[in-house]
Amino acid sequence: MEAKYDFERKYRDQVLRCSNCGFCQAVCPVFGSTLRPAYNARGKMLILKEVMDGTIDLNDELIETLFQCTTCAACAENCPSGVNVPDIIKQVRKDMVNIGSCHPAFKGMNEVLKNHTNIYGEDEPEDFERERNKKAEYVYFIGCVGSCREDEATLETLDLLDRLKVDYTLIDEVCCSGVLEDVGYDMNEDLVRKNMDMILATGAKTVITGCPYCSRTFNNKPQYAELKEKGIKVLHISQFLKDFDFGVMTDKLVTYHDPCDLGRHCGIYEGPREIIRKIAPNFVELRHNRVDSLCCGAGGGVRGAYAKNSIAMARRRLEEVEEVGAEVVLTECNSCVHNLANAKLRKQKFKIFNISQFVNKLMEEAE
Amino acid sequence: MDEKSKKALIHIVGEENFTDNLIDLISYSKDASGHSHRPDAAVWPTTTEQISAILKLANKDRFPVVPRGAGTSLAGLAVPEKGGVILDLGRMNKIISVSVTDRLAVVQPGVVYADLERVLAPHGFFFPPDPASGTVATLGGNVATNAGGIKGAKYGTTKDYVLSLQVVLPDGRVMRTGSKCMKSSSGYDLTKLFVGSEGTLGVVTEITLKINPKPSLSSTAMATFEDLEDAGRAVSEIMHSGILPSALEIVDQQTLIAINQNTDLNLPEVEAILIAETDGHTREETQFQLNKVIEIFKKNKAATVKQADTKEEAEALWTARKSAYAVMSRINNSLAVEDLSVPMSKVPNILKTISDLAKKYDLKIPTVGHAGDGNLHPTISFDSTNPDEVKRVEQASAELFEKVIELGGTLTGEHGIGLAKAKFMHLEHDPVAMDVMRSIKKSFDPNNILNPGKMALEVQDGSQI
Amino acid sequence: MEIQGYNMPDDLHYEENHFWVKEEGDLLVMGMDDFAQTMAGEVVYIQLPDEGKRVKVGKKFAKIESGKWLGKVYGPVNGELVAVNEELEMNPGLINDDCYGKGWMYKIRPDDKGELANLIYGPEAVEKWLLAEIKKYAEE
Repeated sequence: MEAKYDFERKYRDQVLRCSNCGFCQAVCPVFGSTLRPAYNARGKMLILKEVMDGTIDLNDELIETLFQCTTCAACAENCPSGVNVPDIIKQVRKDMVNIGSCHPAFKGMNEVLKNHTNIYGEDEPEDFERERNKKAEYVYFIGCVGSCREDEATLETLDLLDRLKVDYTLIDEVCCSGVLEDVGYDMNEDLVRKNMDMILATGAKTVITGCPYCSRTFNNKPQYAELKEKGIKVLHISQFLKDFDFGVMTDKLVTYHDPCDLGRHCGIYEGPREIIRKIAPNFVELRHNRVDSLCCGAGGGVRGAYAKNSIAMARRRLEEVEEVGAEVVLTECNSCVHNLANAKLRKQKFKIFNISQFVNKLMEEAE
Repeated sequence: MDEKSKKALIHIVGEENFTDNLIDLISYSKDASGHSHRPDAAVWPTTTEQISAILKLANKDRFPVVPRGAGTSLAGLAVPEKGGVILDLGRMNKIISVSVTDRLAVVQPGVVYADLERVLAPHGFFFPPDPASGTVATLGGNVATNAGGIKGAKYGTTKDYVLSLQVVLPDGRVMRTGSKCMKSSSGYDLTKLFVGSEGTLGVVTEITLKINPKPSLSSTAMATFEDLEDAGRAVSEIMHSGILPSALEIVDQQTLIAINQNTDLNLPEVEAILIAETDGHTREETQFQLNKVIEIFKKNKAATVKQADTKEEAEALWTARKSAYAVMSRINNSLAVEDLSVPMSKVPNILKTISDLAKKYDLKIPTVGHAGDGNLHPTISFDSTNPDEVKRVEQASAELFEKVIELGGTLTGEHGIGLAKAKFMHLEHDPVAMDVMRSIKKSFDPNNILNPGKMALEVQDGSQI
Repeated sequence: MEIQGYNMPDDLHYEENHFWVKEEGDLLVMGMDDFAQTMAGEVVYIQLPDEGKRVKVGKKFAKIESGKWLGKVYGPVNGELVAVNEELEMNPGLINDDCYGKGWMYKIRPDDKGELANLIYGPEAVEKWLLAEIKKYAEE
């Protein structure tokens, strides 16, 4: 039988290989907070198997599960059969969009990015009181969440870069647009072109991003290949800060939340920990850490489309913070900070910061 | 199932705890076995009262109800073979209490095994029957199947630890069985009737479990055998040597080949590997026991024997056994996981049978298992899209079960009968026993609404005796 | 009164960023008005600062978010935050369901109740203001 959809053409073997063991239920953040098997990786594979068998077609009824996945890849990491569910889901979403079946939030986001500079459609983000587009050694690329939702965190990171006397410039950045490919669409070539032109115009040899998703996009997507071709390196801020000596310390009990986009997706676990141990020797790991880190719930577009479930997932992660009694949770991803901060209960007294933000606070206190 | 019944269900559990959405019907149509059937609806109850009302309604409107935990059954226990309503107990997941003084834990059926372990650990206690699916499987499911696990040889299975149950009967009445005492001989032992009854006699809504103090130390050793039957003999001898290892597992050649193809563990592809663990509170104790095991390994021509000196080394030795399922599932696109058990003296025989059947039917049957209690998992790996291969798998299974029964064994050590082995029940149980089982079912569930179609409780034409 | 389908009770004062204010003894209660709640869509998060926080007139003191929008909550008067609606922590949707009742957000002890006079009040003023706002949002 000829495959009807692209996901079957590319991933038929994997979908068939799912043995329905259900082990993914142990690690899936969406299942963990909703306890609804239809949302779990196994449920999604069962549905796709039926689509491949021809028992059902892709249709609107499947939106609720096919578009509700943070693509955190915890399932793929734990699958005994080696099924890469997030890759399959991203392809299915494209098939769904092809037949006109898509979650309105993502359809909306694709439209917004045609006419605006970021996913929120907010064309007047903070200027952070810094010059943009000047010549410099580094470009600091903030990312949509950092610009429009976590401006306080971003400001502190920029303050830190100033303290460290880094020669950087901001640019009139636009959305890296990587997220579109995860939710069924294609990257926005206009936005990609704008970013690359602006970066090249600064003469910078390195781009530092505040957002690990942006750095992944710049490093891995062929649309941004020109950066590599022109010898421009892209680093996430945690990689950039790794070798600095900040000269400050705190004795607070600190823990670290591995963002999926930095950890499982890039294999960067120790760098951020090295920075933290220098400034906060009183460090404790969360129950699920490094490759087993529990997703904060914001990724894969879920925060935009299923905000309540997204925050519920973050709440579940914060229970692990309570469990170890940490006073401060550090991470280095504005999306994580945003979702975790929204989920934190008033009775939970710990603070949530990016590492760079926290270092800046310590340096400010020391002055 | 008609709209009236659906409305009544919504009235009982609330709209947000009822679903007949397509995505849910599909997700609930399978468990971890090869069987599949869609339900008409699913509910997420949170109280015993709701379950009681649902079962009363099911009897009135005559629709099937299928209780479900994590849906990791390997035998089709959770598949709604006759449609009806899935009772997903996952949201009844509270650990109600833990009492170290009374040596018990009271849990709701939806509690995941691993979560209970985590709560017991700081007290120095554990719940010994540890299924391989412990990170996802729920205790309600463990009770339904009388789940075993790697520690079964020394510590027994779930039924040895269930002190008391709260059950909703198929007619909606609620009752308690057993007692919180360590011992009781009062009235019929209804607890043991429900444990392993595969959700066909009642829905368990609260479980009181006996917990054990956890030995703080263990010693681990691994032995390789060029000859499968030597390994089998070693297993038998160890289990009657005077000591009880806390685990004695076997990994066969087919599995080792698959492991090497998928990992860089680089294990010797011998006919069998045995992994033994002994536990206790002092190093003298664990070592004394392990020495006996090692002696027997050597006496039975083990090619190599390695003892782990550190915790890390022990974990490395266990990796072979623990990665078995993963590598088996990559050999082909489908697995038929068997779960036979034989008397200890017959372990070598059944190992040979499996190997012969693999050759006869040209199939790959990697086998691992709890050699220490005679419970093996020959796992047939096959291509489910190839009808000829599927037929050979069925024939091989049938012949395997016949041989198992001939040796005095049982069809299932811990997974249960469900759908997968229903048609072989008559091989193991005589007609009077089957008649008694069917009478018990009829007495508890005259309208056959609770998990119908399982365990060969219905006769061939679908009606009940 | 009802203005083009939006419910805007007459007895309330309105801050220009669409927050209503009501006297309750010597405290002021505030929340979001029906127009804003409708424009925002389902509220998923509202920041609930600690009691004792200073509130400054015209200055943002909290954040509120729906799926697609981030809004700022502005102080209607100068004063001190004395209470927050804790129900909104787990149930921010109350702001959509019942923005004038169960969806109330904050209670403030004003430095000077007289500052209420600076807010929009009375059917004529409210109607003129809201019609202009409706037109403004329609053009965006």
